[in-house]
This record gives sequence, structure tokens and C-alpha cells, in this order.
Amino acid sequence: MIIELHEFTRVEGNGKAEIVIEDGEVKDVRLKIIEGPRFFELLTLGRHYYDVPDLEARICAICYLSHSVASVLGIERAFGVEVPEEIQLIRELGLIGELLESHALHLYLLVAPDVFGYPDAIRMATKHGELVKEGLALKSFGNRIRVLVGGREIHGINVKPGGFGRYPSVEELERVEKESEALLRLARRAVRLFAQLDPYGARAEHFVATDGYLWGEKLVSEEGEQFHYTERIEERSLVYSFAKQSRYKGEPFFVGALPRLLLKADMLTPTAKRLFEEHRDKLATGYVSYNNLAQAIELVYSLERANEIAKVLLDRGIKGENVPVEAREGEGIGYVEAPRGVLIHHYRIDGNGKVAYSNIITPTALNHAMMEASLLEEARELYGEADEMAMIQRLEETVRAFDPCISCSVHLVKL
Amino acid sequence: MMDKLKLGVFELTDCGGCALNMLFLYERLFDLLEFYEITEFHMATSLSEGNHYDVALVTGTVSTQRDLNLLKEARNHSDYLIALGTCATHGSVQASVELPIREKLKAVYGDEGNPMRALDSKPVVEYVAVDFALPGCPYDKNEVYQVLLDIAKGIEPVRKDYPVCLECKLNEYECVLVKKGLPCLGPITYGGCNAVCVRSGLGCIGCRGPLPGEVNPAGEYEVLRELGYDDEYIIRKFKTFARWEP
Repeated sequence: MIIELHEFTRVEGNGKAEIVIEDGEVKDVRLKIIEGPRFFELLTLGRHYYDVPDLEARICAICYLSHSVASVLGIERAFGVEVPEEIQLIRELGLIGELLESHALHLYLLVAPDVFGYPDAIRMATKHGELVKEGLALKSFGNRIRVLVGGREIHGINVKPGGFGRYPSVEELERVEKESEALLRLARRAVRLFAQLDPYGARAEHFVATDGYLWGEKLVSEEGEQFHYTERIEERSLVYSFAKQSRYKGEPFFVGALPRLLLKADMLTPTAKRLFEEHRDKLATGYVSYNNLAQAIELVYSLERANEIAKVLLDRGIKGENVPVEAREGEGIGYVEAPRGVLIHHYRIDGNGKVAYSNIITPTALNHAMMEASLLEEARELYGEADEMAMIQRLEETVRAFDPCISCSVHLVKL
Repeated sequence: MMDKLKLGVFELTDCGGCALNMLFLYERLFDLLEFYEITEFHMATSLSEGNHYDVALVTGTVSTQRDLNLLKEARNHSDYLIALGTCATHGSVQASVELPIREKLKAVYGDEGNPMRALDSKPVVEYVAVDFALPGCPYDKNEVYQVLLDIAKGIEPVRKDYPVCLECKLNEYECVLVKKGLPCLGPITYGGCNAVCVRSGLGCIGCRGPLPGEVNPAGEYEVLRELGYDDEYIIRKFKTFARWEP
């Protein structure tokens, strides 16, 4: 017998799942990514590097800037280009804006309705309007930062190899500084709310993140060593899904807000660190559902860090100079922490500056095996115990805790 | 008070941005809800209670049989269907990979092939008649807001008839094509984005597709060639969002 979970709602993109029951027991779970393939690696093949980040941005709307930045990092590394701290800080600010926008969307509009028992945030707003408004305030601030750094709310083109089309002005940075401070109160309230939830889903045993907080030179795992994805992560195709599955040393693993906190707590800003310490025991259990709490703590981190960055840039003054980029043959990997976890852009570029090889692995693809493992565990626990509707509801919540971004997951290529 | 219009948002294969952009209307989404009741919008709600839609917004390309079924359902059950975003109106970037679907699948999923079946990505407008086409990758959210308000008030929404260049001039942005030699498709691209990319000092990438009528793609082609861009580069640029033949 197969129990079907119909297309997930309140997630980005199209996916569903099947629970396979044999002899009255849950035998297997298949997470099916049914979003059509989008062939991004083929799209960028043979393209001039300058246009590639704008195209890659189109992989995902919720985290377009992570894709632009990962793309730019991959290209710059292929050419051996290093950018000064000013450019790095502005990029980081953009990624923070994206974290705010994406986490606020996920926590307030997609997850909170489960917490309060509503089908959506619009219907939740009649009774919990204040909370929905707070979420929208955080989200819109995140988006304003995305406009500032990326050039548009969605699919901006301002992030370029070697720098930016346009640099933020003093007034814009002053606004970031002020607003990030003012919104901190709301983020702290979100931490209180999501700290109350009981855990569900599986407990992850392996965690992977980039070695810096929002991007890095390499990846790290709970084992502490730094490595390139090609060394320890394997991908394989599935017969029932347009997304591939990845394993870390052959095992399912977890990327996202919770792994970031667990692996990189020492990089957090003061209040975020205090909140992490307060909830450390819970988070360290590794339940994927604590990803929600981890995201709430990251809202605090993002606001504090945005404030720091704005202050540093204002103190120093913006130079606004791009680094000259010269195309040469090379290979580079960009590692970024998209809001929902590690994002990898890997390119080889030829002597004419055109992409000769490209591989992109998105967080949802990296989490695919862990999502299945988590659904399996939850289904085994609930099958026969809870009624079927309640089980399905909980399974959907389990998927949602990963904050999956299904559209992004469906174009992985090895050429 | 008169009954609210029933609004459905249907997502085919895309990046999710065109659905997300509706949520980015923030408070103005609530203003729209004075006129509309959302009865299908899978990114935003777990409810799905519509069997008839006064207005259906369809985003994305048709890339699977599921997409095609969903599109037909939306068309068959709606009075006014809007193809929303460049995927739906022109196919956008994912339709620009010019290989047969089988070869594309093989390149991505390996030699043994993936038994998942896919269709060549095509815009919504190639499969069904639409009542309004609003391009943009993503579309300008102010524009969709206005279109939905117009429909609610019984006014046929206005189709724009000027290129991005005009909006660039109105904003008094420096011409990046002439002054910096950047590849800018503003002169021949359908306006309505308020020249947002030129605001960043960068060229228009043509994400809203070609402006029909009296534009001069051949002229644009020549200008880019004189600036030193090679044929292949220009042709790919023209084709990226809208399969645009120079």
C-alpha cells in the first residue's frame, strides 16, 4: 500500500511524497521532486562569464543573491581575483538581507500557520495580525537590503565579478544601521515563539556548512576538517525525482540554519550567541525541526551583523572601486550559505572567458536524503498511532522544517 | 457589498519568483484582498477550494505533463487568465537551452537516463489563449497590482507600448550603451520595469522580451557589433529571455 502526500503547500516549488506500507509497517519513503528540470548548467555553458551571475540568479527567487554571489565567487576564484574587504562586506550585507527575507518568509508565513492551526498567514492574520505584520516588517527590511546590494528585490544584476554596478550611499547605509537596530526586538520575540515547539522529524548525525559564516573557501562538517565537496559528497540520480540526492561519506546529512549554528557558534554576534547558548542543549539534539528555532536565532544574528557592517562601512567611507577582472583559463568553486544551507557553484572557464564546465548543487538537493530519512522516521513513529490525516499533516511539517526550495533543486548536472 | 472575485495562482516550472513577487506586495496584497479572495495559491496557503476562478494567474513554463494539466485546468476554470512573468509569456531562460529534451535529460541525469518524463520548456501562451500577458523576470509588482485592480473595477488593463529606454530617459539615468559601451537591450525591450537595471549602472538584459511594433532590433544588433561584441554573443543575448530573432 502507498500513502500519498499530495503536493506540498507552503513550500517553494512542486514536490510530493509517498509512504510505502508493507505488512502493516512503513517500509520506505520516497520524496518526489516533480518540478520540471531547468537545465541551468546547460544554459550557462559557452556563455561569457560576465553574464553568468545574472543568469544563475534565475535559479531561485527566494535566494537569488546567494546564487549571484556563489557564481561570482566561483568565477573570481577561477581567475585568481581577490576583492578588498569593502566589497566582501557589501556582499555579506546582501547575503544577510537575503537571510532576513527568506527566514522571515519561512517562519512567519509558512511555519507559523502550523503553530497556530491555520491554513495560511492571511487567515491567521485576523487573530494574530501583529505577528504577521512583524514578519512582514523583517521580510521587507531584508528585501530593501537585497535591492541595495543586488539591484532588485528579485533577480538583481548588481553583483558582478570584481565588484558592483552601483555601491550603497551613506544615507542608505545609515538607514540600514538604524532599522537593523529597531527591528531586533521583533527577532528576539520570534526566538521566544519558536523555542516553545516540541521537536519532530529525525535527528541528524552529520552536519555540513561553509567554513566562514555566510561563505567560505571550503566546507566543514562536525568532524572539524575542511574539505572540498568533491572529496566527500557524492551525488546520484533517482528514478522518481528530478532532483539528485547527495550523501556525505555515504550518509544523509543536514545543511541549513541549525548546522550553521552548531558548527559556527563562535562566529555569532553577541545577542545571537547568548540566545544560542540559552538553547544549546535543545539544538544540539540535532532534530531537524529545531531548524525553525535556529532560523529565528539567525534573524537576530542577521540584524546585529547588518548593523555592524553598516557601521564599519560608514566609519571607513565607501571607495566604490571595482577590481579589474581579466579572463583566463581556470577553475573555481564558490561556496555560499544560502538561507536554507550550503550552495555550491563550480565552474571551469576557458581562455576566452566562456564557461566550459559548470556544476551547481543547491541546499535542497544536499538535504534530499536527510529529508527522506526524516520522513521515514516520522512515518514509522506515527503510522498506526495517529490518524492518517494527522500523520500527513505532521509529515508535511517535517518537510517544511527543512525550508525546502524545490525549484532550485532540479537542475544538477555532471558533464 | 458585492462578492469578491475568486483569484487563483498557479505555478508551473519556474524559480518561484513570480508567485513570491505577489507576497512582496506586502500591505498592498491586503488591499487587493478587498476585491479578491485567494482560493488557490500553493506557495502561500494549504487551502485549495476553487473550481472556478474569476482571475487566474499562471506563472512558469510548461516543462512537464503535470504543468500542462495544471495549465489546462486553470484555463478551463477561469474567466480571465493572465500569463504572468517571462517564463509564462516568452519561456525565459530555461526555454533557451536549444537541445532536444532527451539530450538535455541525458546531459543532466546521466547515460542510463532518468525515467522521469519532461517536456521542452515552453511558455504558457504557446498552449492556451491568454487574456493578458505580463512579462518580466520577474514582472514589476506595481504593474500586476494595477492590472488586478483594473480588472476588479471592470476596466481592461492597459498594455504598455514603449521600450525600457523611455523609462531610462524619464529617470534621467546615464545611457550605459552610449557612455560605457555596455551591452544594453533597453532600446528594444518592452518597458514597464522602470529601467531598474540601468539604475545600477548596468545594461538592460532584456528580461521583459521584445517590444512589439516599431523597434529596430537590426539597429541594436549593429550598435552592439560596432561596440565589439561578437555575433554569437549578441545572438545569445537576444535569445536568452524571449527567443528573439535579430
